[in-house]
Amino acid sequence: MTLTAAVNLLATPNPSPLLKQAPMTILFGVAAVIVAFNPGSVTSLASIVAATVAVLVATVLAGVLTAVSTIARFALLVPAVDLVAIGFLRFGTGEGLSSFSALIILPIIWFAAEEGREHIWFAFIGTAIVLIFPSVAGQSDSSALSVLVRAAFSAAVFTIAAAVINELSRQARLRLSSVRRLAEERKSALESNELRTNQLAESEASLRQAQRMFRELWGAVTEQAVIGTDLTGLIDAWNPGAALMLRIGADHVEDKRHVDEFHLSHELEDRARELNYPAGATVLNPGFSALVEEARLGSAEVREWTYRRADGTELPVELSVTPRLDDDGETVGYLFVAHDRTKAHEVAKLKDDFVGLISHELRTPLSSILGYLELMRDDDDEKLTETQLQYLGVAERNANRLLILIGDLLFTAQVESGKFNLEQHVQSMSPIVSAAVDSAQPAAVRAGVTLVVEMVDGGMVRGDSVRLGQACDNLISNAIKFTPAGGTVTVTLNGEAHQVVVTVSDTGMGIPESELNQLFSRFFRASTATRNAVPGVGLGLTITKAIVTAHGGEMSVRSEEGVGTNFSMMLPIEQPARVRSADLAQ
Amino acid sequence: MTAAPHKTSVLVADDDADIRVLVGIAVRKSGLELVGAAADGNEAWELVNALKPDLVVTDVSMPGLTGLDLCRLIHADGELSGTRVVLLSAAVDEQAHIAGLDAGAIDYLIKPFSPRELAERLVALTQSSTARQ
Repeated sequence: MTLTAAVNLLATPNPSPLLKQAPMTILFGVAAVIVAFNPGSVTSLASIVAATVAVLVATVLAGVLTAVSTIARFALLVPAVDLVAIGFLRFGTGEGLSSFSALIILPIIWFAAEEGREHIWFAFIGTAIVLIFPSVAGQSDSSALSVLVRAAFSAAVFTIAAAVINELSRQARLRLSSVRRLAEERKSALESNELRTNQLAESEASLRQAQRMFRELWGAVTEQAVIGTDLTGLIDAWNPGAALMLRIGADHVEDKRHVDEFHLSHELEDRARELNYPAGATVLNPGFSALVEEARLGSAEVREWTYRRADGTELPVELSVTPRLDDDGETVGYLFVAHDRTKAHEVAKLKDDFVGLISHELRTPLSSILGYLELMRDDDDEKLTETQLQYLGVAERNANRLLILIGDLLFTAQVESGKFNLEQHVQSMSPIVSAAVDSAQPAAVRAGVTLVVEMVDGGMVRGDSVRLGQACDNLISNAIKFTPAGGTVTVTLNGEAHQVVVTVSDTGMGIPESELNQLFSRFFRASTATRNAVPGVGLGLTITKAIVTAHGGEMSVRSEEGVGTNFSMMLPIEQPARVRSADLAQ
Repeated sequence: MTAAPHKTSVLVADDDADIRVLVGIAVRKSGLELVGAAADGNEAWELVNALKPDLVVTDVSMPGLTGLDLCRLIHADGELSGTRVVLLSAAVDEQAHIAGLDAGAIDYLIKPFSPRELAERLVALTQSSTARQ
């Protein structure tokens, strides 16, 4: 071990007590050897023995302190014992003339290097005691004064050295702690850097996953066309479904074509007219604006349009339009999702054809049945007997029932396909309700039911008098059918702020609450109806509701089993009011 | 009905035989003369050209020419200006009715029809045309 390496070892931040003690022990050993070879220098053998014992004690103590870290705070006992040893050695080798006084510097360095100014004083006191020790023992040859002066002077010099060492140690410690702090900071910066790197990697992974998911989804949607545009309708996204449906690849449309180029211009113009766009170009692209108007106003729109493919062929689509928003919620474009309605249209047409066929094929034989029955009844040459006429009546009545049923079926089919036409006349409900009540009167009489009418002319409605009459007929005849003899059916007509209300209430058998929500379904029959064998197939209310709905109105029902039922149809009053007052004035 | 007892001639066209007979009875009851009966549109068109009847009572949906086609052909033919058409149809909607009148029919009855009513209408139509003459 070189000297530099040894010093470096001692200069490590926290040398162990044993390491600090090592120079003392070694140098003391050297001193002992010198003394052994020069016995003439010995003034007191007992003192030298005491000094050796003290150094051994100090070294053992340093070893113990090194091994047992919990008692590290007693480390300063080691240099203290060293001082005692030096005191004895110095005394035993000629005191002031001793060759080994310089050893005193080692414990002083130890003291001085400790943190805190008080250790300077330990060094001073320790030095003073060692130097004055011989006088204290009273065995010095020198005069007390010269001993005191020497002691005081040396102590002062050592104290100044101790103070310098203490200060240098303090600064070294400061530097060390600042270096340590820097190291700590660097370490934590490195750690947080690593953490960020990990987070970034995770985000990247999840982004990649999301991108993959998106690409897969985007590619998987082949039955719907998904088209994205900017605010002007310029296409910037075109999925495989769009490519299939419109028979043109994304390369040919993205950033090149506008979405309205795939629409029929007359449909866009019709829609623009519906939206009351003023004639002339007040909007940048009227066709595109018509397409996205409702989405622009914030509601998702679903509507039927016709697409024109790249090859000029056309297909009906159901198109939903939604706005694309940026981080601030501003609309930056639109998304168009279309699905092909060709099949649905084919099915609807088949259904229409079927309904037409059925209607024709059923009505033709009924024409013969009813026509020939009438001929038989009207035959003046061969008069029928009373009984024969009665049988004929039954046959006619049932043939007519069939006819009505066919009409109802045809009507509900038309309603389902959205193809029933309403005449649009502004008119009062009063004559319609009166006519319905009048025609129901004979049936009411037959059933022993009292028919009461309360009418206030509630205002004009716009609609088809035949269909509205049919709706009233249905409600009134239903009420009569479901009311036992002795009961009452009340028909009221009233006007409210925005609607005309026709209510038909009966004192009949009522409808169980659990069945009320199915009441308007096709072919549904209330359990009270089947239980009481009331005839019917369950189309009347379906038709009534369809008629009312087609007029922009609503139906409501209240019922209590065994007490009665109350049906209301609410029709919107024709607007604007000016038209109404003009009509009323006529 | 005094000097020249020219009975109004009527042609019936319907693919359903029972209906043809029924219409024929109504025609006779109304005092008109049934001159022919056709089972499809093409036959009807031949008979119209051959017989030049005053009235044609025809079904709308028939094999071959439809009642509407027949109506249009008659209407467009100058030689048949004296022939008028009454349509019988199993269709119930308003559009069909309008289409019939657009094609040039003077009346339109919905099946099932009452033979009595058909007879009354035919009489009324004959009288109004006699009055015009």
